[in-house]
Amino acid sequence: MASGIESAAEPASIESANAPHPASKLLEPARGYPGALIVVEGIDGSGKSTQLYLLKRWLEIGGYRLHFTEWNSSPLVKSATRRGKQRRLLTPTTFSLLHAADFADRCERQIMPLLHSGYLVLADRYVYTAFARDVARNCSPRWLRNLYRFAPVPDITFYFRAPLDVAVNRIMSGRPKLKYYEAGMDLNLSLDRSESFRIFQGRILAQYNEMIESDKFVVMDGTLPVNKLQKEMRQFVKSRIDLSRFAPKKASRSARSPQ
Amino acid sequence: MKASQKTRKNGREKAILSHAGASPRNYGLPLPGVHDEEYGGSLIVIEGMDGSGRSTQISLLTEWLESEGFAVETMGLRRSGLVAKDIDALLAENTITRMTLTLMYATDFYDQLEHRIIPALRSDFVVLADRYFYTLVARAAARGIERDYLLGLYEMALRPDLTFWLNVRPEAAFEREFRKSHTISYWESGRDLCLSDDLFQSFIMYQAKIKKEFESLSELHGFLAMDGEASVATVNTELRKRIAAHLGIQRTHYRPSAALASLWR
Repeated sequence: MASGIESAAEPASIESANAPHPASKLLEPARGYPGALIVVEGIDGSGKSTQLYLLKRWLEIGGYRLHFTEWNSSPLVKSATRRGKQRRLLTPTTFSLLHAADFADRCERQIMPLLHSGYLVLADRYVYTAFARDVARNCSPRWLRNLYRFAPVPDITFYFRAPLDVAVNRIMSGRPKLKYYEAGMDLNLSLDRSESFRIFQGRILAQYNEMIESDKFVVMDGTLPVNKLQKEMRQFVKSRIDLSRFAPKKASRSARSPQ
Repeated sequence: MKASQKTRKNGREKAILSHAGASPRNYGLPLPGVHDEEYGGSLIVIEGMDGSGRSTQISLLTEWLESEGFAVETMGLRRSGLVAKDIDALLAENTITRMTLTLMYATDFYDQLEHRIIPALRSDFVVLADRYFYTLVARAAARGIERDYLLGLYEMALRPDLTFWLNVRPEAAFEREFRKSHTISYWESGRDLCLSDDLFQSFIMYQAKIKKEFESLSELHGFLAMDGEASVATVNTELRKRIAAHLGIQRTHYRPSAALASLWR
């Protein structure tokens, strides 16, 4: 296996070993759908979105049936989230619930129907973002695991790991003005916004690292050159998912795996 | 009035409620960032379907408690500053799915819990809740969402000091509601479940489902079930008797003021 990929295990339940809940067993991937779900996760600045974009371009150019979805993209609860953030009304619990409602809308109206109709779904951030970020905000892991029980388990979860300094520097150089919640200012970690952001991202990073084994993350080294990393990502996808399932139906005889 | 406090032996729900860390005031988990279990006050919940007389009783109880010198705060569903308007807008469309709606209502509930109920309890208020998360659990369960998922969702809710359930037959509730507003709401009659094309039939079938959910919630949480079809005065007298005992009020005599006299039928 290429050097950037450190772990490659079977996809398993979103339930993690350290969050036992009597009701937690429902997410076992008894996949009743022909689609597949590929997820990228990692802290801000880890390079995940760039890599998923390149993966998407590769598949699009090959003519594959795919859909791209982002965390935080549903118009449904956007106004509530915006209002809550502007007026700083959000607590760790309501912050978490609003994002869960947003995800539920996307899940019920996009992700699940597309998986059932045989699409390859690419998700830029998934429930692990909520697990990492909301636990960093002191929400109970058990409560969170229950909250997202309705989410389908991904076929592959790529976790882009980059050292905190590298990731934070990437963000700070491109986006000098950090937002209140984004910087974790609600947690009173520091009065300085960039310092608060750094501490908050550090906490999130620790939570991601906790999930590597329990949630079968495929760890990618976010410090490698972009094209090298992308090559590894494509190889891994090919090795794990039969892409011919997603080739255009009429042209399926001539469809080839993209190079 | 009779308290249904039978214990349930096999309930999976029970397991959730008996977690270590459960305090007498929550259902298993403390709210993050809320550090005290020291708040006083009392949380009193009135549950029951539309047309069961909840809001009438809450108006009367508020006046009675204030006349007895207790400060009162109220809460209800869809009254949060955060998302009440958004839920209204979502309900007006029919594209909302059940899980999203469930979680929007949960947001509304916790926003009120954190910004309204807990501050009031810290200031020693009596909080009268015009419905509580039990209704949200019943509605979502009637739409096929697992009960243990829902009880897990509300694990950080405060345990009420008293929960009254105004029990009425759906037929009687329909009549009362119809007399009051000359129509029945789409959601209150569960039209999204496509139980029947007939509004009355749909209402009765849906409320029967809700009632079933309430029966098991009542066992689990020890509701005080009351006959909601009795007269306003009779129900009010019973409510005051129970609440007076809880708050240590000696004398429960009460006559509504002129402003509320019309409610006293």
